[in-house]
Amino acid sequence: MFQVENLSKRYGDLQAVDRISFQVRAGEVYGLLGPNGAGKTTTLSMLSGVLKPDNGRILFDDIDLHADPVKVKQQLGVVPQETALYEDLSARENLKFWGGLYGLRGSDLDQAIGKTLDRVGLTARAKDAVKKYSGGMKRRLNLALGLIHEPRLVLLDEPTVGIDPQARVNILDVVRDVAKSGTTVLYTTHYLEEAESLCDRIAIMDHGRILAEGSLDELKKQAGEEETVTIEGNFEAEAVKAKIEEVSSVRLLSVEQGRAVISTGGSGEGAVKLLERLFGADLPMHGISIRPPSLNSLFLNLTGRELRD
Amino acid sequence: MRTLILMVRKDLLRKARAPLGLLVVLAFPIMFSAIISLAFGGGSSPQVYLLVENLDDNLLGNALISAMSSDQMGEYFDVEVVGEEGRSRIEDGDASALLQIPENFTEDIIEGKPCSLSLLRNPAQGIMPEIAEQVSLVLTEVLDGASHVLREPLEAISPYVLGDSLDMSAALVSDVSVTIFEAMEGAEAYVFPPVITFASKTVGEEEAKDAEEEEHDNDSPAIFQIFLYVFPGISVYALFLVGDLAMRDLLVESEAGTLRRQIQGPISPGRLLVSKAAFSSTVALISLLILTLFGWIAADAPIDLLAYVLLSLALILAVVGSAAAIYGAAGKQQRGAVISSIVYLFLAFAGGSFFGIDGMPGIVRYIAPISPFYWGSNAYRALLGQGATLTDIMPSIGVLAALGLVLLFLGSFLLNRNLLRGGGA
Repeated sequence: MFQVENLSKRYGDLQAVDRISFQVRAGEVYGLLGPNGAGKTTTLSMLSGVLKPDNGRILFDDIDLHADPVKVKQQLGVVPQETALYEDLSARENLKFWGGLYGLRGSDLDQAIGKTLDRVGLTARAKDAVKKYSGGMKRRLNLALGLIHEPRLVLLDEPTVGIDPQARVNILDVVRDVAKSGTTVLYTTHYLEEAESLCDRIAIMDHGRILAEGSLDELKKQAGEEETVTIEGNFEAEAVKAKIEEVSSVRLLSVEQGRAVISTGGSGEGAVKLLERLFGADLPMHGISIRPPSLNSLFLNLTGRELRD
Repeated sequence: MRTLILMVRKDLLRKARAPLGLLVVLAFPIMFSAIISLAFGGGSSPQVYLLVENLDDNLLGNALISAMSSDQMGEYFDVEVVGEEGRSRIEDGDASALLQIPENFTEDIIEGKPCSLSLLRNPAQGIMPEIAEQVSLVLTEVLDGASHVLREPLEAISPYVLGDSLDMSAALVSDVSVTIFEAMEGAEAYVFPPVITFASKTVGEEEAKDAEEEEHDNDSPAIFQIFLYVFPGISVYALFLVGDLAMRDLLVESEAGTLRRQIQGPISPGRLLVSKAAFSSTVALISLLILTLFGWIAADAPIDLLAYVLLSLALILAVVGSAAAIYGAAGKQQRGAVISSIVYLFLAFAGGSFFGIDGMPGIVRYIAPISPFYWGSNAYRALLGQGATLTDIMPSIGVLAALGLVLLFLGSFLLNRNLLRGGGA
């Protein structure tokens, strides 16, 4: 079991991580979901041992990371957000080096390299210099380097940021495959759909704190029955605000130039009244959508901001 | 140890895949020393191909041509006496210049009349015609001076030179000789630079000395002597650049994210530093071996091998320590590269890597010992060119080793504080 207790980190005036605690059970995929700047990468840096926390403890099978870092790190595989590869070397040479660092030798190393290359679909290009790879291939190799020694816990820091949809699907498939083989996964992301489709349990983070935690169903229950209505158009924020305030049962969650998100208050009557009012007003709208309760609406409820921010 | 070897091997493999920077740095001392040696120590001097149109065809005109064709001048001038075709040959670019000796040149000089030599330059050439012009100017000055100093004897012999009569009495020859001698003696202090020489020789010594010099010249021509003087200093400078390139890799890895990734793995920052220092030392050692090969070819005297090895190890320590200290203080690759370029260039000049410090201003000679380049360059010069022994260069080994150790500790502390403690990012 991976256990985090009261972890904190401050940079000057900024409290990057604020007393967070959570547990990740063996074989579980645990998601840290939050917008950029929520404190996810700082948390992962502390969990991987490169950053010393101001407070708190990190335990892996009851061994404190900072008391015996080498022993704990041997069990960890870390996949950083940015690709960290030796571009002059081939994929095989990269894997050979990183596998060697984790103590793999001889035929064990060769087998691990073959298996990992196969897992990420790079066997055919294994001997090519990495600098000749596409962005998606580099991401897959980046992932492979964290898996070569078959760690018991993999820490993945937003591994799909900035890549094309197909490469993203490939990486998510590999992560699912890793999880299926019994490896524990800690996955940070700011993509709702990734967290929803991949994670057994999710912690929602913002401003260095965990705001909510649980399985997808549990979190949706926390979001309540409220549907959200999103309107988009060429309107002033103040004009929308005035119209919505006239409907008593609805609640304005966020509003900005050209976009507003409104909670219907969980009643169908409220939604109808809201739509009547919006259509009746002479607001220049070009889009309207109604969404069922989701992680995004929960995040909106908790922070007043959308996750896309 | 196995992990350390793995890390060094990985870095060497990367360096082998992108060797251009290292090869350029290694080629620098070899090329630079070879060019300097060829320019100042070897090969024949370029000759000025000079055409002379002698319209005078008398004593002094012919004497001038003889002077320019003499053994001494022949080293620099290839003189061809031509007729009227001289001008067209210059226009065709056949020679560097055409010197015209005017009609009645001898007569005019003897009679003290003004006369002039004219030089026609080949416009297609730059240096050679310039040399011809400068030499002609000197000759003109000499002739002008001689015509004044020797006015009296010239007037005395003029009837015999300009006329047909060769019937000079013994008394006249004697008078003229005495007059020339007195004129030359009187002008000696002005015409010839005052030189005081003292020579002491023993019977048979000169022959032995000549034989020794001849033997030395055969074994070690000037080109190798200059190479052995220039090469060690430039090589020491190049080795510092090699160490710089290798240690800079730590910051390259920091920017690529691989340094952080290693720290996230089971590698301590201390072990990372040791591995990069070992890599830098290995690259410097390989480079030193390559440069040694070239030095060995040029060296003619036996070299104290133990002294050479100890000096090289001390130098490598200084090279790695300096690079660690600079990049530890800089914290960023670009900043470190700029600082190291400036610092190394300054220390190399001040330490006499490029030019010996003997000819430099007093302040430079005073500060030279603070530069590791001074100790490295001089010790290698002494070993390769002067047959120095371990005892002779022990101070250099001591200074380089001590400096290297101090800088390595300082650099490790700074790199750990500025680079690795934050996770290598």
